[in-house]
Order: sequence, then C-alpha cells, then structure tokens
Amino acid sequence: MGFLAPWFLAGLAAVGLPVYIHLLRRHTTTPRPVSSLMFFERGTQSSTRHRRLRYLLLFSLRTLLVLLLALAFANPFVRRSSAAASERLVLIAIDNSFSMRAGTRLADAKQGALEVLASRKPSERAQVMVLGGELQVLTQPIQDAGALRRAVESIQSGDSHGNFGELGRGMRALTETVHTPVELHLFSDMQSSNMPGNFADMVMPGNVSLMLHPVAKAMPNWTVESVEAPGQLVDPKRARVLAVVAGHQTPAATRTVSLVINGVIAATKKVEVPADGRVTVAFESLDVPYGASRCEVRIDAADGFSADDASNFAVKRSDPERVLFVHQTSDSRSQLYFGAALAAAAQSSFVLQSVNVEQAADVDPTKYAFVVLSDVVSIPSIFENTLLRDVQNGGNVLIAVGPSATHRQRLPVFGESAADMRYYSRSGGFSTVGQVDASHPAMKDAAGWTDAKFYYAAVFDPGHSRVAARLADGTPLLLDKQIGQGHVLLFASGFDNVTNDLPLHPTFVPFVDHTARYLSGMEGLSGARVVDSFVQLRSATNEAAAGSQGATVEIVGPDGTRPLSLQEEARVQSFQLTHAGFYRMKFASSRDALIAVNPDRRESGLELIPEDVLRLWSGGADTSAKAETSTADAKEKKGAYSLWWWFMLLILMAALAESLVASRYLGTQREEV
Amino acid sequence: MMQRFLDPAVLAGISGLDLIAKTVVDGFVAGLHRSPDFGFSQEFAEYRAYTPGDDLRHVDWNLFARTERCYLKRYRGETNSQLTILLDASNSMNYRSHRVSKMDYARYTAASLFYLAIHNQRDPAGLIVFDDEVRNYIRPSTRPGQLHRLLIGLEQAEPKARTDFMKPLAHFQEFLRRRGVVLVISDFYESPEVIVKTIEPLRFHGSDVVLFHVLDPKEIQPELRGPSILVDMETEQRLEVIPEYVKGEYRRKMDGHLQQMRERTRAAGLDYHLLVTDKPLDAALSEYLFLRPGGR
Repeated sequence: MGFLAPWFLAGLAAVGLPVYIHLLRRHTTTPRPVSSLMFFERGTQSSTRHRRLRYLLLFSLRTLLVLLLALAFANPFVRRSSAAASERLVLIAIDNSFSMRAGTRLADAKQGALEVLASRKPSERAQVMVLGGELQVLTQPIQDAGALRRAVESIQSGDSHGNFGELGRGMRALTETVHTPVELHLFSDMQSSNMPGNFADMVMPGNVSLMLHPVAKAMPNWTVESVEAPGQLVDPKRARVLAVVAGHQTPAATRTVSLVINGVIAATKKVEVPADGRVTVAFESLDVPYGASRCEVRIDAADGFSADDASNFAVKRSDPERVLFVHQTSDSRSQLYFGAALAAAAQSSFVLQSVNVEQAADVDPTKYAFVVLSDVVSIPSIFENTLLRDVQNGGNVLIAVGPSATHRQRLPVFGESAADMRYYSRSGGFSTVGQVDASHPAMKDAAGWTDAKFYYAAVFDPGHSRVAARLADGTPLLLDKQIGQGHVLLFASGFDNVTNDLPLHPTFVPFVDHTARYLSGMEGLSGARVVDSFVQLRSATNEAAAGSQGATVEIVGPDGTRPLSLQEEARVQSFQLTHAGFYRMKFASSRDALIAVNPDRRESGLELIPEDVLRLWSGGADTSAKAETSTADAKEKKGAYSLWWWFMLLILMAALAESLVASRYLGTQREEV
Repeated sequence: MMQRFLDPAVLAGISGLDLIAKTVVDGFVAGLHRSPDFGFSQEFAEYRAYTPGDDLRHVDWNLFARTERCYLKRYRGETNSQLTILLDASNSMNYRSHRVSKMDYARYTAASLFYLAIHNQRDPAGLIVFDDEVRNYIRPSTRPGQLHRLLIGLEQAEPKARTDFMKPLAHFQEFLRRRGVVLVISDFYESPEVIVKTIEPLRFHGSDVVLFHVLDPKEIQPELRGPSILVDMETEQRLEVIPEYVKGEYRRKMDGHLQQMRERTRAAGLDYHLLVTDKPLDAALSEYLFLRPGGR
C-alpha cells in the first residue's frame, strides 16, 4: 500500500482538533443562581469523566472523519494483481518481414507460437497478429485453440520492412480498449534495422508484458543493395546499369553478378566483394527490346538468405518522344538553350520540336510528351482549347513567363494573370533563388540554383499551386498547378538567358531533364520501387470527373492476379505495392507502366539487436525463449489500485454517523415534566 | 371568571399589594360563596351566659324577653382569632424561574390573608419579617389602618441575608403570647427536623401553626442542559453540577425533603402546605378559612 499524494498526510495533524474539542477544551458555563445548594452535590470530576465517556463515540467518529479525509486526499493505493489470470490476454505477434524469409526463421517462429498457444490455460484468451510493415490482426481475442492454430499456420512470409515502432503503437492503441493484462509474445529475428529511430516508439504500455522470442542468429549475407538503371531508354548502347553489391557480416569473397533481361542472362561479371563491404558493378549496355522489359541484377550469393540475391528494375525502350516547344517568332534563344539542355540530359529520350505561335494552331498536343510555352503573348484559341483538354486528361505543360507574356491579361492554360513584374535589373541588381522544395520531382538536383542570377520575374499568386522554388524576396519562381489529371509547371522567368542566367549554369541541364521526365510521366511508368510504397493512380481532386468518364485503372500483381476489384479500380486513388516483383499497370490516363518492386534493402542486414537493448525493451525479463515459453508461470503484473473511492464512501458513512450521534448528544434535552 | 385573578402571573401585573389582596379575596370569596346571605361576621355561632363585664350590646334581648335569662349571642366573626404571619425574607426567597418570585408569591399570599382576616373577619393580624433575625414586627391588631401597616411591612420586606430559624424564633415566643393562627411562609431550606423543632414551640400557646412551603416549580424539577456552575443565593457558594445528577439524585432528595416535611409537621401537629409559585393562591386562603372556624 502506498500514497499517490503523501504530502496530504500532513492533514493528519487536524486530528488534534476533535481531541482539543472533546478532551482538552475546558467547558465554560455561566453560573446560575439557585435558592440553595442544599440538595446539590459537586459533579466536576465525575462530570468530565462522564462527558468523556459519553462523547467517546462522537469523538471517535470525528477523529475517524478527519483521519479518512486526510487519507483520501493522500490518495492511497494498493498493489494487487490487476486481474485474474483468466482475464489475461495472450497476444502472439509473429514477424513476417522480408528478413524472416532467411533460413527457417518464419517456420521456427510459427512453431514457437504454437507451443506458446498450446501451453496457455484453456480459459485464457489469445490473439494472433502479424508484424510486417504494419501490425495486422489475424484473430480477435478468443479461446478457440483451433482457430488460433489455423491463424498462426496461415501466416506467410512477406516482403515488407519490419518496424518494432509499429508494434509499440499498436499495443498502445490496443490497451486503450483492453484494460486486462496483456502478455505479448513476439517471435522475430530481432533485426536491428527494424528498430525505429526513437526507442520510445517501441516501449510497451504498463499492462503489457513483453516476452521476446528471438528465432535467428546473426549470419553473413550478400545482397544487391541498389541498381541504377534508366526507366526509359532510346538507345541501348548509351544505357548503363550500375549495381551495388553489399555484404553484411561477410568475409571477402568473389561473387558473380548477372544482368538478367526478361529471364535471360544478358551479361555476367565477377566482382571482389570486400569483407563486410560493398562494390559497384557496371553493365555498359542494356540491350532490351522495344517495350517494357523485366530486368534484374542477380548475384550467386550462396548464403542462407537467397530472397535478396536479386534486384528488379523495369526498363521501357521506345523511340524518342517529342516535346512541343512553342515560342514567339522573335525569340530563338529560348529554344536554343532549352533544346540543348534537353539533348544533353543523360539517357535523353526526347526530341524537341519547336514551333512559333502562329504555327501552333494546327498542332495536336496529344501527340507530344509535353508542351513548352516559352514566353508567348498569346496562342491560337483552338490550340489553347486543345491543350487545355489534353491537360485535363493527363497532359502536362511547361510555361516560361518572360517579359512578353506579361502583356497578356491571362496566361494561357494556367488561367491566371501576373499580379506584378519584378525588374531587378532596373534597380541595378538581381535576385537569387532563396528557397527550393527538393521533394518536387523537377527540383531533385537543386544544387547550384542559388548561383543563378534573376533579373526579371513575374509575380503570380500561388493560390492552390505548389511552389517548388522561390526567389530571395519570396517571389514564387516555379509553380506546379494541377488541372484535371495533368500538371502545369510555371517558370516565372524566361529560358532566353536575358531575364536570368540560369541556362548558362550546369544546374539547368538536370533541371530540364527532371522536368522533362516529370512532365512526360516517365517517372511513374517504369523503374523500381520499394515494397509498401504507394502509386498514385488518379488525381484526388478530379476523381468525380475521371469517374464520369469511366476511366479505370488496371493492376496486375507479381503473381498474375488483380489485387483490386473492378469497383476499386474505378475509384481508388492510390495503390500500395505490398509484394516484391513486377506490377503491370494501366493508368486512368491510358498510359501503361511496368513497375519493379524490391524489398527494402535494410532487411538484408541481418544484424541482431544487442542483448542489453532487448532486455531494456522487455523490461528486464529473461529473453531466452526457453524461460518464457511457460505462460502459466509468467509473473502477474501488479497494478496500483486506488482506494480513493472506498475512502470517500467511508467518509460519507462516518459523516452520517457523526450527524446522527451529534444530534442525539447535542440536541435539546427534553425534561420529563 | 374571577378565578383567574388568583393566578400569580396575573397578580404580578397589579401594582399595589392592597389591590392585589382585594382582588384575590373578592375573587376567592365570590367563587366560594354563591349565596348573597352568607357573611362571616353575621354568622351565628353560639350562646353564652352573661357574665359581669360583658358588653351589653351583645346580649340577645329577644331571648331575655322570652326566658328572662341573659345570654350573649356570639358570631363566628367574633371568635376573634389572631392571625400572625411569619414571613421569611432571606435571599433565597428571591429566586424565580418565571415572572413571580417566591417572595412575590409570599407577599401576595400574606396580603390576601391580611385582607381576608381584617376586612372580612375582623380578626387582629400581625406580621413578623425575619431572615437570620427578626427584621420587622407589626403587632396583631384590628385598629384602623392595621391593614395598611401590614401591607407596607410586606412591601418593605426585601429579601436579604440568609435564613436561620433558630435565632429569630427565640424571639417569636415573646411576640406570640396570645393564641391564634400562626402562618410561617418560607422556602424551608433547612433540615425538616430543625424546622419542626424550631417551630413546634409556637403551638404551645394553643395556636394553630401552619407552614406554607413556597417553592418555585424549577426548584422541584430543575433543568440543566449541561454541566453548570450553581451559585447559592444566600451563601454565594459555587458548585459545579451535572445534568444527570439534577435529573436523578436531586429530585429524589427534594421529594424526600418534601415528604419529610409533610410527615414531621403532621407528627408535630403542624399543618403543612406546599405552595408552588405558578399555582393560584386559593390553596393558602382555603387553608386559612379551614382553620378559622376552630375559633380557639
């Protein structure tokens, strides 16, 4: 027993009050005259004694009342078993992250879980969960041993990256509704990479006792850590594939690395992988056929974890896509700089086709990867309408706003007019880029932007647009506005090397390259992703419009099945890539994509969490599986049970009794006449 | 209806003792005697043979004419019994628990008796006021103005000092040479044995002695709501007393005291009456009239 607020025990001194009133305070009275004391006798001594005896019950009640009040404020509690053993919930959590594919880890974990379930009392409820990228509940808390066993046996190995932080969060959410003691048995390989950045995320709530069951030991592992390959290429001879082969807790060894294209080994190399190190392998050509190809880089690891010996990537080979560049007749500089940058970009897949404004009326923008409007005052209305419809359906436009464009009231396609013009050169200076959103696809390689000098910029209200870059004075420089399924990228200056000197800087080429890839949609149509990443299938803001057009997506998973129902394909906005392999997708904008999905390579590092960290996590409990398999012997967690309400009930009863006794003793004495 | 004028609480509102006495007696008499012919002084009592020296005015000449014998006609009013009231004026008589103190009650009683005796019965009446000594003595007489003197004596009898029967009663013997009715009005806070022993000699002259024991109702059944300090009004002595004692032992002692007073006075041939100050005065008057026909 203890007190939550022991300082209130100082209130026990108030017990002296009834002691003073009843025993110490002298009774004072006004002398009363009587005719004679002939028949009276002195009663002082007997009076006090009698008074003490008579009011003993009242004194006791008052003392008890003060005592209980002080104790109630001190908030006493007792430690007791917070629930009977039959109320305890046995929770089985099995890690099925990608690393559990190594050896017999998952099978061992399932076997251990079945043993724990078999050793529990029949009256105890149990629940089975799976810990992958997120915590997945397989059963409700039940006593049915058969259902629990089937749930454990149904667990399959996954491709996700495990995270013990998810387990901690899941337990905290669980204990908000489950107040009985929870005995959590975690069967995992205790991979150190599964620990969250903050240890506090994986700390268990107070009524959860964690029993750790490590099912693996550290082992050497070679893996293809990363592959750098173009997602789309035009000339196979100009394409390179760079692969990094890494060894975790491995000795130095020679490994054979193979490039496999559509199931056929296209090239093989032997590399020397240093001890516990990594090496880069380059394949100088990627001879893939036209269309999408399934490629992978594979090593002969000869270790216990074969699932991570290959890394997938998808490559789409096609003829160069055309980019329509619309410019003023008088402006030939912009075309020069933009075209040169587009051609210089690595693995360039675009051919610039420039037309002046007058020629644009007969052009169909849907035949181009994207359209660039370079400082145009106006464009033919028929072209603008066609272009706007194309953007609505998923087409993309890049608009550069030079000094000429500001003569127009409204910018074509973008639909807004410049609020102001900033001529920095007139004030004898220039401005620079002050803020860059590196997460924007067009600004992936933003180093060097701060060196560019901007002499002119048009000012547009960002509104609902995403600002990818701002000048030093806060003027938005690069805005991304979504219209329908498409995007309009607005560059608030020109490409002519007059309004700024950006085209002369090396950073202009990657900017044009990334912008071209982003606007052409190439970014999302090929390449490689990580398991549990999301693919945006359609625009969220235009879901109704897309739905009205009947635009559905089609997804075929690595196993050849369609993971989405027809209804979901018509409505769902994003899709999570839960398995490793190749996903074939057809987006709402009618574009086809082949996406390779690889497990998170942190799963390949099979280092275990240090023993002391495990002890700290489990609260000092013995982590050996043998000692923990017996749930019956598990120590019951003692909980602090507050006695406050009981004390308040006693106070109420004491107050009532005191009132009754006091009214009996201190009320008006009735004389018998 | 006149009976309510015997209530001491009503009498306390009347200022003069003479008026109080008249009110009490008239009310009492009117309540007692419904016949208008009844009169104490006119009531025939007996015939007595004439002896030389008797007043010839009382000779029944009609009888003499018929029988030629000389008889005196005697009336009750002419029994000429002397009334002497011994009034205790000690401090304890000042006690009151309501509007009328014991002294007030004693005054009303004495005044009413004086009025009844002198005005109605034409008896000589006297007063002795005492505490621990004789403070005032008014010789019994039927002279004109006697009632007035007695009433003044009553009004001047302010309680003081303490009661001591032994000392003043030694002098009573000197004052009470003639037999009659002797009324002692006191609260008798003394041993019944001492009281009887002191008062009993008054009978030796053939007087009828009546003890009017005046007590306040709260003296018989006192109330205490807690341990209290009581102060003796005569001795100033203080005593702490608890309610339980008052409710139990005190009452037993008081009842025993009253019982002893009754028994010992009866045994000594004394009449005893307990007068409680919240009761009407008729008990005292009735007692007097009861004794009056004796005519000794």
